[in-house]
Amino acid sequence: MTASAAVRRLGKYREVARMSARNKLRYRGNFAGSMLTYGLFVYVFSRIWAAAYAGKAGIAGYDYSMSVWYFIIAEVSVFGFGRFFWNLAEDLKSGQVAYLLAKPYGFIGYHFAQAMGQGLLDAGVIFLEGLAAGLILAGLPPNFMLWRLALVMVSLLIAGCLQFFLQMSIAMTAFWVEENAAFFWIFQKLALVVGTLLPLEFLPLWAQTAAVWTPLPSLSYAPGRIAVAASPGESLVLMGLQLAWLAAATLLSRLVFMAGHRKISIQGG
Amino acid sequence: MNVIEAEGLEKTFTTRVKPEGLKASFASLVKPRMREVAAVKGVSFEVESGEVLAFLGPNGAGKSTTIKMLTGILAPSAGKARVLGLDPAKERLELSRYIGAVFGQRSQLWFHLPPADSFRLIGAIYEIDESDRIWRQAELVERFGLAPYMDVPVRKLSLGERIRCEIAASLLPCPQVLFLDEPTIGLDVIAKREIRLLLAEAAEVDDVTVFLTSHDIGDIEKLCKRAIIIHHGEVVVDESMKDLRHRALARKLVGVKYAEPVRFQIDGLSPVKVKAADVAGAAGIAGAAGVAGAGDGAWTAASFEVDTRCHQLPDLIRALAEKGEILDLTVEDEPLENIIAGIYGAQSGAEAAAAARPRTASAPAAPQTTAPAGEKAFS
Repeated sequence: MTASAAVRRLGKYREVARMSARNKLRYRGNFAGSMLTYGLFVYVFSRIWAAAYAGKAGIAGYDYSMSVWYFIIAEVSVFGFGRFFWNLAEDLKSGQVAYLLAKPYGFIGYHFAQAMGQGLLDAGVIFLEGLAAGLILAGLPPNFMLWRLALVMVSLLIAGCLQFFLQMSIAMTAFWVEENAAFFWIFQKLALVVGTLLPLEFLPLWAQTAAVWTPLPSLSYAPGRIAVAASPGESLVLMGLQLAWLAAATLLSRLVFMAGHRKISIQGG
Repeated sequence: MNVIEAEGLEKTFTTRVKPEGLKASFASLVKPRMREVAAVKGVSFEVESGEVLAFLGPNGAGKSTTIKMLTGILAPSAGKARVLGLDPAKERLELSRYIGAVFGQRSQLWFHLPPADSFRLIGAIYEIDESDRIWRQAELVERFGLAPYMDVPVRKLSLGERIRCEIAASLLPCPQVLFLDEPTIGLDVIAKREIRLLLAEAAEVDDVTVFLTSHDIGDIEKLCKRAIIIHHGEVVVDESMKDLRHRALARKLVGVKYAEPVRFQIDGLSPVKVKAADVAGAAGIAGAAGVAGAGDGAWTAASFEVDTRCHQLPDLIRALAEKGEILDLTVEDEPLENIIAGIYGAQSGAEAAAAARPRTASAPAAPQTTAPAGEKAFS
């Protein structure tokens, strides 16, 4: 394939992402719900942490400011990239997915571009809101440095991609089962407990050990930890793990699609 | 050159049976009951380059499933298909570059954005040079009269406007084969006529092979050169529209009204409807089969279905004229719709195939049991 052909081939996914972003931007109200909920969550948790830290300097190595900032960053991954499943599952169940197969693009690539087009906008808006809320509620982040901010953004981007491929794999179980929302609920609740609401260090040792063997810490814990406590070395290890899980999840989604797409069963028009 | 070849194409779906009652519902959680439904049963046909083909059938006949197999969306359970020399099941991605598809009940346009955005996206997806895309889009916008709609969100367009945009969008990448699955469904008479004209023009101007499924006989009569009728998953008719139309034209509806009641029999032909002057003491219209003694009663009016390949129309009219003073006489072509409805009404593929075969004898509703072959004279 020539370079120009490769650029053109990638260009279609860029165009899909742009369309998706335009679609998201059509109403200002599209952002209002998640911004309101996120702001409320951050405020409520900042009050919970304030009560928990009353009379204490730190818990599991985190002080009040670190815990608030950790929650703010960890939740960006959830609010920005945590709800792809519902659109994917709807496409699969309604049969719309079948018609997408009649076009010259990679099925997973198309959905990835579509999801990220609006996911990046969602995450960007929530991230900015989080920065503002954090400054008001907890002051400047602890150990604030520009390199840390840059690494947080890269880590959040990897977390977003990982969110997509994991959720896509779960959504594609619809090729076999009629109702797969329960799988996503389990995944979502586990992700919430393992590294989103609380840093891993707050969990019992056995749970921390078990969590390391799952992709869950790469979704929220990694960017949250990089934001407040990780050294440059630890940050690179966390991002390396994120990339490894991303590669595994990409492969998993590809395998699930290859095994399942021939099972598409749509009767009638 | 054949652009589409289907050979013994089959598709069987497995569906879960939902039992009635709470107990059975619990039992089905443990041991679900599955049922196999054969949607397409060994369909074979070929389509030549440049043909405009009508692929017809009642609801549930297997039309959409066949289209989905030909476009690579569904994998066939058995049989083979080749479209533009490619195997849709194995080379779906490659094939998708050369075909277009419009599914009347689905949309390829982004609902909340104007069609212009979807056109640009389709250009990118099919890897069309931007300058070519702009030129081609301008040509289609002019031909389909889309200029007023290109910057209006799709959700605000009428169904007819949306379908015009859908068809134009599917023609943007210059496909070699265009699959249209019920493109005029839900449209009013005017919108249907516009879509038919545009499709006919597209087939000619864009030199595209058109594979059209529709329930609308108007679509088929106006657009297609050949019709395949599929019923109960089997092909029951595969012939040119000329032959199908000829078959319809060969059947005439003859109506006659007399000044006075007449009493007569016509060999080999029974009326499908009579106005019997002597039934229950009052004249009334009834189906011939439902009238006691139809055929030997006295009539003031009657209607006949006449297959002109079996009966000479002038002979019938002469025979009718000899029976009494005629007040009115009408001769009408049987609508093509009736022929197709007869096929659709069949309970099985074999029955539909039998209904599809040209009749060699008298009218379908004739109560007579004998059906002499060849032309008949009347007495």
